[in-house]
Amino acid sequence: MTKNANGSRSELILLGINHNTAPIEVRERLAIPAAQLADATRSLVAAPGVREGLILSTCNRVELLTVHDPAAVETTEQGSVSTHATLLRFLDEYFAVPAATIRPHLYEFREREAVRHLFRVAASLDSMVVGEPQILGQVKESYTVAKEVGAVSGSLEKLLQSAFTAAKKVRSETQIGSSSVSIASVAVDLARKIFGTLAGKQVLLVGAGKMSELALRHLIQHGATKLFLANRTLARAERIAAGLQAPGISTEVIAFEDLQAQAQRADIVITSTGAAGQIFGRGNGQQFIQRRRGRPMFFIDIAVPRDVDPRMNEVEGCFVYDIDDLQQVAQSNQADRNREAAAAEQIITAEVARYQQRLQVLDAVPAIRALQQQAEDLRQAELARAAKTLATLTPAQQEAVEALTRSLTAKLLHPQLVALRTKPEDS
Amino acid sequence: MSLLWLRVAVFLYGVAALAVLPAALYDRPRWRHVAIPATVAALFFHFVSLTEMLNAAHHALPVDTHETQSLLGLLLALAFLLVYWGFRTLALGIFLLPLAFLLGLLPAFRPGLETSTLPGIHSSWLFLHIALLLAAYAALFVSLVASLLYLVQERRLKSKALILHGQTSRIKLPPLETIDSIALRALLFGLPCMTAGLLIGSFLADITYGPRYFGDPKILLAFAMWLAYIGMIFIRRSSGLRGRRAVYLSSFVFLVILCVWASNQFSAVHRFAAP
Repeated sequence: MTKNANGSRSELILLGINHNTAPIEVRERLAIPAAQLADATRSLVAAPGVREGLILSTCNRVELLTVHDPAAVETTEQGSVSTHATLLRFLDEYFAVPAATIRPHLYEFREREAVRHLFRVAASLDSMVVGEPQILGQVKESYTVAKEVGAVSGSLEKLLQSAFTAAKKVRSETQIGSSSVSIASVAVDLARKIFGTLAGKQVLLVGAGKMSELALRHLIQHGATKLFLANRTLARAERIAAGLQAPGISTEVIAFEDLQAQAQRADIVITSTGAAGQIFGRGNGQQFIQRRRGRPMFFIDIAVPRDVDPRMNEVEGCFVYDIDDLQQVAQSNQADRNREAAAAEQIITAEVARYQQRLQVLDAVPAIRALQQQAEDLRQAELARAAKTLATLTPAQQEAVEALTRSLTAKLLHPQLVALRTKPEDS
Repeated sequence: MSLLWLRVAVFLYGVAALAVLPAALYDRPRWRHVAIPATVAALFFHFVSLTEMLNAAHHALPVDTHETQSLLGLLLALAFLLVYWGFRTLALGIFLLPLAFLLGLLPAFRPGLETSTLPGIHSSWLFLHIALLLAAYAALFVSLVASLLYLVQERRLKSKALILHGQTSRIKLPPLETIDSIALRALLFGLPCMTAGLLIGSFLADITYGPRYFGDPKILLAFAMWLAYIGMIFIRRSSGLRGRRAVYLSSFVFLVILCVWASNQFSAVHRFAAP
């Protein structure tokens, strides 16, 4: 428990569910759309005893971070109901999900552990994909909403700012987010190793499939603007092309029979057909590179069985990656991230300790002020008692006595002030 | 005094050459905060040294091998900075900075004391002739290094095992197309330098020596170098030559340039003052 500025006690509690503790069926019932987040946060801080609150709702977690006034809860609940129950009741009332359904999946952290959990979440150490960058943005969005509705003030403000600092430190001092761990983002990374920027690059999608379309959309996000689509069923290619229409993106459907004659127009080729045989052979690769006057081509072969002859990778300028290659890169990157996560955990531990230290100093402020005031009162009283004697001194001598008493008081107080700042509870 | 500044410059080139290694090879980007300022400072002191030498010494341009070497080192370090600012890559520094350090080392500690009896030694045209040709040499060297890096990056991308098992993942090389662009732009920059350098040299030689100057094997080799340079650019641009064959071609032209440089020692009419 900590004391706030006016000296009253408060308790930090974090209650939530995430991808590790709850299945999607439970998570989706508690998920809060962005448009309702402000309303939900308002309802949370309206709950008895909740002084400050923040709700973090993403596809993988719903967490309530609250600062409680324990006295208020005890008064309301005749001293028998815990803050945990208050939060459970909020979930029950707001989401209309029975407490019994949620309880088995809930985790609860208090004080230091709550701080640690929040720091880990913000630093993406508690994410399904460790190191993914979105979570920090989502925590910041929740913070903005909570601040707008007045649910975040003194305690949570300091805590969240410290969480953002810790997350940034983890990003800048470790390589946790530097490599891609999904097939689509690995494909984009490899494309960037070949072409640098993907702005204006041309992409050919052969066949259709969830993963290939995802890879294509990633490439578009990174700047690819011209898309060619080829499918054995022309109508299907046209349907996909229509689905990809967006400002600044141009699409063109290529007849499947024209593939060998047209493929060199694309810098990146994604293949994902169900064909039994290969669509592009080694010879095709040589022709493409010749027609492109040496400019490289990147083949992302997601099909099983493979659409591109692996020997095409031997052709100068052709780079062929199949699904296994991409998966292995993703796994290798994931292993790298896990290694970096160990370093990140150390940073989090240090940041939590630093935060707790700051908090202790803040907690000690009223006691420090009281002690200083008491000492000053004593000093003034002693000076007043000796006023007659001091009156015979010259102004310079009086000033010297004043300085001497001040210095003596400060020196006598020093060990006690240090003790208060470092171990306020014991003091 | 110019020697002292040159020594400071050489020391700073050494610092930059060491600092660029962790930044480019071990994914420690913060080392660039040492490598780049050290290179800038080295260039400054090198320039001060050169200016002092030109103002105060017995001659107005580099006349011996050591001084010419030192000027070439300055141009290579400058090329590294230009590439860094243009393409945000330190990778070329792995080669360019140690070379700048080595080229400056000998002139800094064992300067040539010879004077030259060359007519027109105080001509700024002659200085321009030398500076332009050295800039062309530096540009070709940059292109050669970039072609080598292209080859390395191409191999890394093709031999997936290296990438998959993280054996080289910490070595940060620029994307293939960026490296190719550096190589080609360096060549395109070098061509006008070489052309102008040769034209100025020919014009000055024609005035000073007359037609006999053009019969010297060194001069003939210099024109062959120019033709090879043009040929290389033509082949690269027309056929999009990249990778291994581009390295072979660049290496060949570089070899020709080394021969031209070395032939200064044997030429009857065009030679460095011996150090």
